[in-house]
Amino acid sequence: MSNAATFDTRTDTAIPVESPLAYSYRHSGAPRGSGYRLKLRERAMLGHLILRGGAIVLDEAVREVLGINLPGKPQALVQDASGERSIQWLSPDEWLVIVPGGEEFPLETQLRERLGDAHYAISDVSGGQTLLEISGEAARELLMKTVIYDVHPSNFPVGKGVTTVFAKATTIIRRPSEERWELVVRRSFADYCYRWLLDAGSEYGVNVEQ
Amino acid sequence: MSQSKQHKQQVFRLATGGRIDRTRTLSFTFNGQPYQGHPGDTLASALLANGVDIVNRSFKYSRPRGIVAAGAEEPNGIVQLGSSEAAQVPNVRATQQALFNDLTARSTNGWPNVQRDLMGLVGKLGGQFMPPGFYYKTFMAPASMWLTYEKYIRKAAGLGRSPMEDDPDSYDHFNQHCDVLVVGAGAAGLSAALAAARSGARVMVADEQEEMGGSLLDSRETLNGEPADQWAAQVLEELAGCENVTLLPRTTANGYHDHNFVTLHERRTEHLGETAPVVNGHRPVRSRMHRVRVGQVILATGAHERPLVYAGNDVPGNLLAGAVSTYIRRYGVVPGRQLVLSTSNDYGYRAALDWKEAGCEVVAIVDAREAPKGDWVEAARAQGIKIITGSAVIEAKGSNRVTAARVAKIDIDAFKVSGPVQELACDTIASSGGYSPVIHLASHTGARPTWRDDILGFVPGLVKGVQACGGVNGTYALGDVLAEGVEAGIKAAATMGYAAQTVNIPSAERLQQGAAVALFQVPHEKPTLRGPKQFVDLQNDVTAAGIELATREGFESIEHIKRYTAMGFGTDQGKLGNINGMAIAARCLNRSIPEVGTTVFRPNYTPVTFGAIVGRHCRDLFDPERYTALHQWHVERGAEFEDVGQWKRPWYYPEKVNGKIETMHQAVARECLAVREKVGILDASTLGKIDIQGPDAREFLARIYTNKWEKLAVGKCRYGLMCKDDGMVTDDGVTSCLAENHFLMTTTTGGAAAILEWLELWHQTEWPELDVYFSSVTDHWATMTITGPEARKLLAEITDIDLDRDSFKFMDWRSGKVAGVPARVFRISFTGELTFEINVQANYAMHVWQTLFKHGEKYGLTPYGTETMHVLRAEKGFIIVGQETDGSVTPEDLGMQWCVGYDKPFSWIGKRALTRSDTKRENRKQLVGLRPKDPKVILEEGAQIVLDPKHAIPMPMVGHVTSSYYSPILDSGFALAVVKGGHQKLGETVYLPMADGQTHEAEIVSTVFYDPKGERQHV
Repeated sequence: MSNAATFDTRTDTAIPVESPLAYSYRHSGAPRGSGYRLKLRERAMLGHLILRGGAIVLDEAVREVLGINLPGKPQALVQDASGERSIQWLSPDEWLVIVPGGEEFPLETQLRERLGDAHYAISDVSGGQTLLEISGEAARELLMKTVIYDVHPSNFPVGKGVTTVFAKATTIIRRPSEERWELVVRRSFADYCYRWLLDAGSEYGVNVEQ
Repeated sequence: MSQSKQHKQQVFRLATGGRIDRTRTLSFTFNGQPYQGHPGDTLASALLANGVDIVNRSFKYSRPRGIVAAGAEEPNGIVQLGSSEAAQVPNVRATQQALFNDLTARSTNGWPNVQRDLMGLVGKLGGQFMPPGFYYKTFMAPASMWLTYEKYIRKAAGLGRSPMEDDPDSYDHFNQHCDVLVVGAGAAGLSAALAAARSGARVMVADEQEEMGGSLLDSRETLNGEPADQWAAQVLEELAGCENVTLLPRTTANGYHDHNFVTLHERRTEHLGETAPVVNGHRPVRSRMHRVRVGQVILATGAHERPLVYAGNDVPGNLLAGAVSTYIRRYGVVPGRQLVLSTSNDYGYRAALDWKEAGCEVVAIVDAREAPKGDWVEAARAQGIKIITGSAVIEAKGSNRVTAARVAKIDIDAFKVSGPVQELACDTIASSGGYSPVIHLASHTGARPTWRDDILGFVPGLVKGVQACGGVNGTYALGDVLAEGVEAGIKAAATMGYAAQTVNIPSAERLQQGAAVALFQVPHEKPTLRGPKQFVDLQNDVTAAGIELATREGFESIEHIKRYTAMGFGTDQGKLGNINGMAIAARCLNRSIPEVGTTVFRPNYTPVTFGAIVGRHCRDLFDPERYTALHQWHVERGAEFEDVGQWKRPWYYPEKVNGKIETMHQAVARECLAVREKVGILDASTLGKIDIQGPDAREFLARIYTNKWEKLAVGKCRYGLMCKDDGMVTDDGVTSCLAENHFLMTTTTGGAAAILEWLELWHQTEWPELDVYFSSVTDHWATMTITGPEARKLLAEITDIDLDRDSFKFMDWRSGKVAGVPARVFRISFTGELTFEINVQANYAMHVWQTLFKHGEKYGLTPYGTETMHVLRAEKGFIIVGQETDGSVTPEDLGMQWCVGYDKPFSWIGKRALTRSDTKRENRKQLVGLRPKDPKVILEEGAQIVLDPKHAIPMPMVGHVTSSYYSPILDSGFALAVVKGGHQKLGETVYLPMADGQTHEAEIVSTVFYDPKGERQHV
């Protein structure tokens, strides 16, 4: 242990939770229907950890505890076989780990045990961001309206993830599969991003799956 | 050329030919008159087909004006579109507007009627008195009257108006990236695109016209023995089938910015109707701005034909020779019956050949050259067309339409008419003075264009990452244009790493062309200043005489001449007139054209609708709004919100009292007393929170903050002050020790992102040896502050944390459960009252907040907003960074020496700056409290402070008010202020003279107005 405080912020499931988009669903609605070319789906309440440290320090521990490799290249996204757990390179000593909700605290504890006195940091940010999936035939066009980063398949293959400008905010954008894109959106900006996506997508028709 | 109401429909339409669909008829109105046209028409071609000669009145002289060109360079056919108020679009060029059914257009100038313009008489008389520089000479003095003059001049000038109602359409931006962007899809652009596309590069092709193909669409020439447009169609088909190619028709490249960033304006539905027609229940985007980041730009923008400058050249019926050909061959419209062509080159001859083939009369070709020869010249001779050599049209006769051309021998070098004048009856005069390459985009990069004598035009000065090919490069022969395009495409793709593939250049006819002669302004029998007007810039009514006068008045720089005469202003941007204007200036100044040089073209190439510039960044998406996890509650409670950075924070919560909604003053007074007497609650989630971990975290804090951190124990919190390296306070907040190597820093709401960057900057650049990491956890935690004497009782009801005053002291933190949710609770206070800041994972925030209210009612739990927070903290003398400080305030100025660790072993940011003589100066502005002598007075924030109100103006000002409020608990106004040497002035009286003549009196007091011993937060 590196003499840091750990804190399990989750509690029993009887206590109601609200995802970062709870307000948006009430305020802007969640359009449904046929004839849409875009699908949005929030993957709420997942476990999000920010891992900081040198790749050499973290690599083995991550592989042992999480069963997947730390991304070897900048801007890479690595997932486990189920696709439920992922690690994304954010900067030379910064990674985003996303796991099913509730796994983040045991994972942090195990990583800390495994890493011992090495210099690293793990911060739980599960309450601070949410994952938004975008799919449908107009997904790439929607992204072109939204992010300045080049989302052409030649520049943005499956398994890539970057932090970039989202309209007038920022977002993490990743491509876990051919037809699916993911945005990792900060809680306080989530409503702006949601309203932007609905507006920018309106000409294609948007279906929001809750 | 009658424009009577009984006009025959489309009398100038040819029975066959052109790229229009005669099987369908479209109706439209222009200036209230109904007309008809066909799909494939532009508004301009349809107006010409219907014999509409006058489309506008001119800007300054109110002269009747007709269509001159067939493309973006049209100076006269500027119309206002829209049948309803919401659909109004100003300054659309009729030559670029596709005809659609029910199109409604009006002239932008000439109200109420372009035929009999009220301004006409005034304008014609007034025009005599409006020489260039008129505005400067007449209206600039007296300066106070300018606003009055300007209003009337603008009304008379009338260049369209914006809609007064909401636009029903939507607009957006597209971020594009490509290896090769080809601007223009004529012969050069298509061959370049083809070459680049076959190599596999990502290619975008933008073309501003309705149909791609450029001049190939109306060319007389053949490629591989077939009409040239067939080759264009084949290439377009291949390009459309390439996955690596994006074709953007109706898309103008309007700006070429640094680093090969090009903005394209795509008109997506303007050709379909005045608002975007709904498709499958969704309304498509009307206009789109493509923001393209390009590897290699290929400019294939072609050339604009240059008109000749002769007297009366603005009378309707004067057209560009090339435009005449375009109207005949592309739109099946002959814009007249009897043509006189005035030309300086072979290309102009096409207009006469096309005119003749359309079955109309060519009265004569007037060629400025003594002995023209070339294939087209011979073709004209073979057709029996009369060619008058060594001559030019020196004057067009007519007022509402050309009635005759006055033709004479001219001596170009001597600039004089050298023979007798003959008058040829005609209704149309076409002129060609050669071509001007469309160098506008290249000029946007800042590269100065280069004059080429052989083509009598400027070609682009080029910068890295751009190539020009075809007309823009001064290459006009079709075969050469195609070869140059292919070469540019291959080169651009190769630069981006794509290997060239074979492209067969289609075989073009090798036409024999005679050399052109340099003719810009045609001489008249009378000197320029006395003769009839010879227009250079039709849109801005700039004449050759105007330019000559400007040079006589001492303007020698072309940039000054431009501004003095207004040449190249407006939507026109000098597309037709600039080169002629420069040539005239050069003649008058006795210099060469390259010596005179060009003016600088700037974005945008053609006007762009504001919608496309704004995109979706408007209305409630204008700027991000950041919400806390409790936003819904605040909205439902009726909170008024305050913008703090991009956050929406509850400002105050007005309640209904006796059927009336409280004022802000009433609400804030109620909220303040609730905190002082019972318990209040604040959503403090917006505070920046940074998780700091690592064995050197403590050392890092000691260097970044002014105060000491070495002894802060686990479980304890401490207020910290941060300076920039100039010693000025930049942020503050409480940092807590979570574990020996783990701290949680809070920052101001507005400073959160900047402070995280500040920490990273110092860590990465100055102290990389410190083992420490930072991560933002601002959004992860929701923070609820309960404060007031009843806070402990309330919290005790829903927590398992021991709240005993001795075991959980002021400036301690504890963890446990609150309302069943894991929480960290901090006993820190910004109100001076007993306070607990409850932090839970944000997804649980609403539950905890609502539980607090469930239990809080009996304690009088009252939500309060930022305004109450400000009053309460000011009563305690707590600063707000950015309110008490403005980047020029040191910790010592604030009287916060207690928060500075002067003897820390390692230096800290700001330490050195605080030892400078200026920061040690005794008469610096220092933070003090102000108590107005009249307790009812609330001093104005920002009010200046003086020591002697009787002092003559200007009075020496010694400081200003930084915060001022009414204190409900003190029942008095009070303020914080900075005053020179204020710390030594306690008890002294200062004065605040106000704009309304009153002078307030106030006493300098301690900054702590309430509970000076600080006992209440410790209870």
